Amino acid sequence: MAVSAPPAPQSTSARLRVPWTRARVVMTGVVVVLTAAFVWSWRTIEFGFGELLGGAGDVANLLGRMLPPRFVDLPYIIELAFLTLAMAVVGTALAIVLSIPVAVLAARNTTLNRATYYTARGVIVLARAVPDVILAVIFVRGLGIGVLPGVLAIGLHSIGMIGKLFADAIEQVDEGAREAVAATGGGRLQDLASAVFPQVLPSFIGTSLYRLDINLRTSTILGVVGAGGIGFELQDALRSLSYDRGLGIVIVIFALILLVELVSSAMRASLIGNESTVLGAVKRRRTMGDLLLARRGQRIRGRDDVTAFDRAAMRPPWTRRRIVRTAYLVGTLAVLAWSVWAADANPVDIAGALPDMWRTFTQFVPPDFTTARSDIIEGMLETVAIGVVATVLGALLAVPFGFLAARNVAPARWVMYAARTFLVFERGIPELILAVIFVAAVGLGPVGGTMALALGSLGLMAKLMADNLEEVDPGPREAVVATGATRGQETAASLVPQAMPSFVGSFLYLLDVNIRSATILGIVGGGGIGFLLFNALRTLNFATASAIVITIFAVVYAIEQLSGWVRAQLR
Amino acid sequence: MSDPVVVRVEGLTKRFGATVALDDVTLDVPSGQLCVLLGLSGSGKSTLLRHLNGLHRPTAGLVQVLGTDVVRARRLQLRSLRREVGFVFQQFNLVGRSTVLENVLSGALGRLRFPRFGVLSYPQSLRREALGHLERVGLGDRAFQRSDTLSGGQQQRVGIARALMQQPRLLLADEPVASLDPESSAQVMDLLFRICIEDRLTVLCSLHQVELALGWAHRIVGLRDGRVVLDRDARGLDPAEAMAVYQRVDPALPIAEQTGVVEASGVVEASEVGTWR
Repeated sequence: MAVSAPPAPQSTSARLRVPWTRARVVMTGVVVVLTAAFVWSWRTIEFGFGELLGGAGDVANLLGRMLPPRFVDLPYIIELAFLTLAMAVVGTALAIVLSIPVAVLAARNTTLNRATYYTARGVIVLARAVPDVILAVIFVRGLGIGVLPGVLAIGLHSIGMIGKLFADAIEQVDEGAREAVAATGGGRLQDLASAVFPQVLPSFIGTSLYRLDINLRTSTILGVVGAGGIGFELQDALRSLSYDRGLGIVIVIFALILLVELVSSAMRASLIGNESTVLGAVKRRRTMGDLLLARRGQRIRGRDDVTAFDRAAMRPPWTRRRIVRTAYLVGTLAVLAWSVWAADANPVDIAGALPDMWRTFTQFVPPDFTTARSDIIEGMLETVAIGVVATVLGALLAVPFGFLAARNVAPARWVMYAARTFLVFERGIPELILAVIFVAAVGLGPVGGTMALALGSLGLMAKLMADNLEEVDPGPREAVVATGATRGQETAASLVPQAMPSFVGSFLYLLDVNIRSATILGIVGGGGIGFLLFNALRTLNFATASAIVITIFAVVYAIEQLSGWVRAQLR
Repeated sequence: MSDPVVVRVEGLTKRFGATVALDDVTLDVPSGQLCVLLGLSGSGKSTLLRHLNGLHRPTAGLVQVLGTDVVRARRLQLRSLRREVGFVFQQFNLVGRSTVLENVLSGALGRLRFPRFGVLSYPQSLRREALGHLERVGLGDRAFQRSDTLSGGQQQRVGIARALMQQPRLLLADEPVASLDPESSAQVMDLLFRICIEDRLTVLCSLHQVELALGWAHRIVGLRDGRVVLDRDARGLDPAEAMAVYQRVDPALPIAEQTGVVEASGVVEASEVGTWR
């Protein structure tokens, strides 16, 4: 029905019907499809309110047995925690080093020719497709138990995100500066160093720090599959039913993650300042450390006096800004050197592992889809079902937190800060760690995994909702207030309708993330296709394993494209 | 080396798809001459300049600069030619996040072999030389300031310092003041022309300010729709004759109505029109 149809011959009731605009059709479609998917998923994983309540009871019971936490052999646990950090740092550094050439070739404006462009883009898609935990399982097979497989898994998988964001940043540079370098007679590498690199540096730093946060969360769990770090110790504690020791380890992991997040947001604030990062779909995260340090960063900039420099030596003056930057650079290099030493993963070892990795990879071709065909289909369906149920539950749980954490909805400032702080802490625990605990509480199967994912996604969803609400245009709200509406009416009539498209967008993004995570839950016994994959690798059925990996890739890629398409329609 | 003709262009034609940007342009510029190109936006001035250092390749014709055949030059030959040809851009084309000094230093890249990042990656002698050029354009104090914190006129002066850093024999300037206000425009153009005369540089510069052009230039070349429509000594040139280049429709129209025609056509930006009066 056309929106602009002439109103004359219509009856009043016909004119009062809401017209079917394109946005409304898409929105209704999304709601119908998601509702159907949710009902089907709920049945597939045999979830029920009974299970949910029972599961909650089991978890409460387990939590009771975890308290008070016991820090057995704390120095050793802390050492393991730092080893885990070292693994994440070296893995991220490896990914950055590998991503730079990939990104240069994957950016339309700096690539050499069509062949290099498509090859580099292909490398990026492939790296993203295989989850890091699965890579770790494969490398542990090829290289034996230790930190090195973890470093390689993180390093290779992260190329998928870092390479993509680096390439996007390169494509956005101002071409004028490059033309100027070409006009002075500069060569290709000089162009990259003098014109491209300075322009993309802030976004490179932002992307790298963001990825380090993600990789640290991953590395805490890699021990479960034998790739070194603290994860193994946690699983051992839970397996031997010493839950209080387990909680002690979780608290150490949590403290480590918060510490690194504080340091990285401080670096972000002082090195990048208010410049926009290129985190594209992922919104820039504001933490308390960010707020504190951003203010300090501005003060330092205010005291710069760049006109005082030694004209004979022509060296840059030591302004406060330069001191801070140099301190961060030296600090970063020191942490990196220590990490390489601690992880015992020197570049020679990494290079030496390449032939082993290649041999392992060759065992995966050709893939065998037929032997375990029905298992693969069933496992994949269960995985998607877990993702759907977890996202819906997580989003429902997130609603109150999301509203309270939004500056323009929270009834008082302190409520907003309390809610935001809670969310930062809530997101501190990696989903797979939650899954390990929940599986210990409710037993093997999809219920524990789903609950873990739901809780794990609560924090991110609430954060995204709060951001969506804060971005709403305040004008219409003022109009509603002017009519004498109550606070609730205000929110319902002006904020929610405006934020709705972004809510749906955030929800779809979360669904995407959760289905991706659900593929690896099985490795810790949380249901889905991960268990099948883990078993195939354990029993050396590499042909079947590669069939599973390809299936995961196909499904995850399809869902990502679909959710991207729907999000684009809503914009 | 002592070839008196620095730029030799013969029958240069350039097509971008269906549009003809340059149509059989022939032009010789002798050593030491200040030659100004006048013409509407889109008349082919930028395209012509970009052929002289090989940023564009011609559809047909001959381009010879400082004895090098630009059309046939290979990658390395082209780089060594560009080393001797300074270029000043309309949009300055500075790396905004880098310091002023680093932007000037990038003018020396053609002389250096490896990629450089950061002021300290350039030898100290070059850093001193760069400061000298900055002082010449009056920005010595600003060496270590981020270049995007400067005003437009200052940024273009950095662009000039960068071109000087190349120690060029030929300087090409593509509407160097089109993005500036009238006052900074006059300052920047005076600076540019004075330096070129002091250094005896050969200059090819596209401009919209007829008065400035007549004040400094040795020779005026007018382009319209990719063709040379005026080419003569600047001395004794009647401003009205120069303004005729800007006319789009009928060359017989009196001067007084011309600005009106140009404004109505919407091709020239308001700032450019304003600077004529």
